Amino acid sequence: MIEAAPILAIIIPLMGSFLTPLISILTKRYKKERIRDLFVVAITIVTLLLVLYMLPTVWNGNIIVYRLGNWTPPWGICLAIDGLNILVALIVSGIAALVSIYSLMYMKNDTGLGKYYTLLLLILASMMGVTLTGDFFNMFVFFEIMSTAAYALVAFRRNWDSIEASIKYMVMGSLGASLFLLGISFIYNLVGSLNIADIAQKISIIGTNPMPLVLILILALLMTGLSIKIAMVPFHAWMPDAYQAAPSAVVALFAAGTTTVGVYMMLRVVYTLFGVAALGAMLIVLGSVTMVVGALMALVQRDLKRLLAYSGISQVGYILLGVGFGTALGIEGGLFHLLNNAIYKALLFMCAGAILYRVGTTNLDELGGLSKNMPITACLFTIGALAISGVPPFNGFASKWTIYIAGIQAGKAFFTLLAIIVSVLTLAYLLKAVNAIFLGQRPKRFENVKEAPMTMLFPMMLLAVLCIVLGVLPSLGIDIVTPAYNALVNQHGYIHAVLGGI
Amino acid sequence: MNVDYIVAMLMISFGLYCLLIKRNLIKMVIGLEILTFGIHLFLISMGYREGGIAPIVTGTNPASVVATLGVDPLPQALVLTSIVIDVCVTAMLLSLAIYAYKYHKTLDMSEIRRLKG
Amino acid sequence: MDFGPGFWGPIVATIVMLVGAGLACLMLLGSRRIAKARPSIAKRSTYGCGEEVNPEEVTADSEQFYSPIRRVFKPFYKYIQPGHSGKLNTYLLWVVIGFVVLMVAIALVLR
Repeated sequence: MIEAAPILAIIIPLMGSFLTPLISILTKRYKKERIRDLFVVAITIVTLLLVLYMLPTVWNGNIIVYRLGNWTPPWGICLAIDGLNILVALIVSGIAALVSIYSLMYMKNDTGLGKYYTLLLLILASMMGVTLTGDFFNMFVFFEIMSTAAYALVAFRRNWDSIEASIKYMVMGSLGASLFLLGISFIYNLVGSLNIADIAQKISIIGTNPMPLVLILILALLMTGLSIKIAMVPFHAWMPDAYQAAPSAVVALFAAGTTTVGVYMMLRVVYTLFGVAALGAMLIVLGSVTMVVGALMALVQRDLKRLLAYSGISQVGYILLGVGFGTALGIEGGLFHLLNNAIYKALLFMCAGAILYRVGTTNLDELGGLSKNMPITACLFTIGALAISGVPPFNGFASKWTIYIAGIQAGKAFFTLLAIIVSVLTLAYLLKAVNAIFLGQRPKRFENVKEAPMTMLFPMMLLAVLCIVLGVLPSLGIDIVTPAYNALVNQHGYIHAVLGGI
Repeated sequence: MNVDYIVAMLMISFGLYCLLIKRNLIKMVIGLEILTFGIHLFLISMGYREGGIAPIVTGTNPASVVATLGVDPLPQALVLTSIVIDVCVTAMLLSLAIYAYKYHKTLDMSEIRRLKG
Repeated sequence: MDFGPGFWGPIVATIVMLVGAGLACLMLLGSRRIAKARPSIAKRSTYGCGEEVNPEEVTADSEQFYSPIRRVFKPFYKYIQPGHSGKLNTYLLWVVIGFVVLMVAIALVLR
């Protein structure tokens, strides 16, 4: 029984990221750089095993509370893991392990790989830190570390587009984080504490019905800072540029990891910290605007990674729509869509990376007819494209069906109709992408393009198998997501477990 | 109304004005810095207590005196952490500005917009 | 939430879709020409506006691919697509406007 499993899941990648530059210098001297790469893969797999170790305890209904330094919670930092936390930690550590296996071959032509692996382990450590912590300022510090590592990873290749995309991401992200810090300082002034459970208790004493003006300002500041990270509609402008310019392994980690962590933080702030489940009406409207803008902008793109970025913006709209409906079915559908979004977005970006690795371009006008050269990649990309549009044997159908039924049952059939129309538009632009890349005439210079290497195909095949399994057995997905739903609506249980029965 | 709060709010609005109106990248970085400093000033001045002493327990000030008369030490720790984060982000922004000048020969942000649509 | 019973269970829907796809494949195979179609040089130069185009090098332009949909959603593409102009100051203005809209929306929903 490993007592310290929660803190080890944060410390092991952090110490790994501090050791990686030293190991990189040593292995470069003796010309055995594979040892550094395999060290990084080993650390990500150890983190995944630690999260899987904590899984049965949390799924039985207990909330694991780990006190740092044995200080009791309002005066010390604690790590509190309930059903919602463990779902996000599972997604993040799983996708990070697959991305590190993928980048063994993908980053072969780049130099400076010691720094790349350092940043990769640092972003994994900070994502685990945001997910597992129970203290609000600790969450902000890890959120900033995650953002800073993300800015550096976007600018990794130092081309003209990487620099421009990273500058835009950095300025918008810093503005968002500063507004978030302003919200934290207002909360500290109002309540006098920084522990999530303690703040939740004191805000419920102040009363949120009707909400005093100060709490409206605080909630708006916190939500603005977080919406920039998850790319909700007026704040989404950095995402297509950053996803177009970053290396594709990193973009797979962003689309599946940082977006999931951002949605988790927003759910924590709205449901556990403030306890305002009635805010769902606003989330429904914002979610539907995000869905529509993302899908319509994706229809007119020329570049594959930019098209997939707008598609990611659209899927976040689905998640917010599902969670905003407020019924049990709606929240479960939204969280199931969060899990599915991580799986098929990572799959699609890894396929785009495989095409870029072998061919050298992702411009849809210059590609064509690659299905004879890269049959396995074509098959996996088609599985991802059908899954994201909600076609039946794949997992997208299960979660989107749940969201549609939840909309009809909650009495908001207009939003269900809108979601179905946006699904059709999703299928439209993804079929355009499949047609332009894999079918049709093949230009003469692509005669000798080979299939992607096996190390890159293995994570993609694993994700595609997960797509099919979660689609054919949707009750498995609902079973994974039900503890998260129970934790989300159970604010009192969280406060009671962390503060120890006060 | 404490003078610190008014100055902090003015600094935040000046920083926001710089970010929205100025087009040179270095001026936008300076605006971001002023915004962040305004937020730090706001956070520290929230721990102030009228006629307070420094929160250090010494021989002449035992713990009970510090607990009733001292200013709040927690916001000071939070601001130190935040200053470190801000230094990292500014350092990265300025090094990216050097690269941007090398590629585009200008630092005007309305000219550096080859990624659009 | 039960997915099993009814017409919309995933297994049943997949089988129906595969049967439909099989029928479409049969129809396509049945309509194949014996000799492959290749346009004559006169036709190629007409469609290529007087130049010599090679059929292997021509693809559909990806931005104009869905021009009927663009015509249907014209207000959106006239006003919001130029908004993604690439200028950083415009994007930061959206952030500030979005913050004000969020504050008004929260005040409307929760008061």
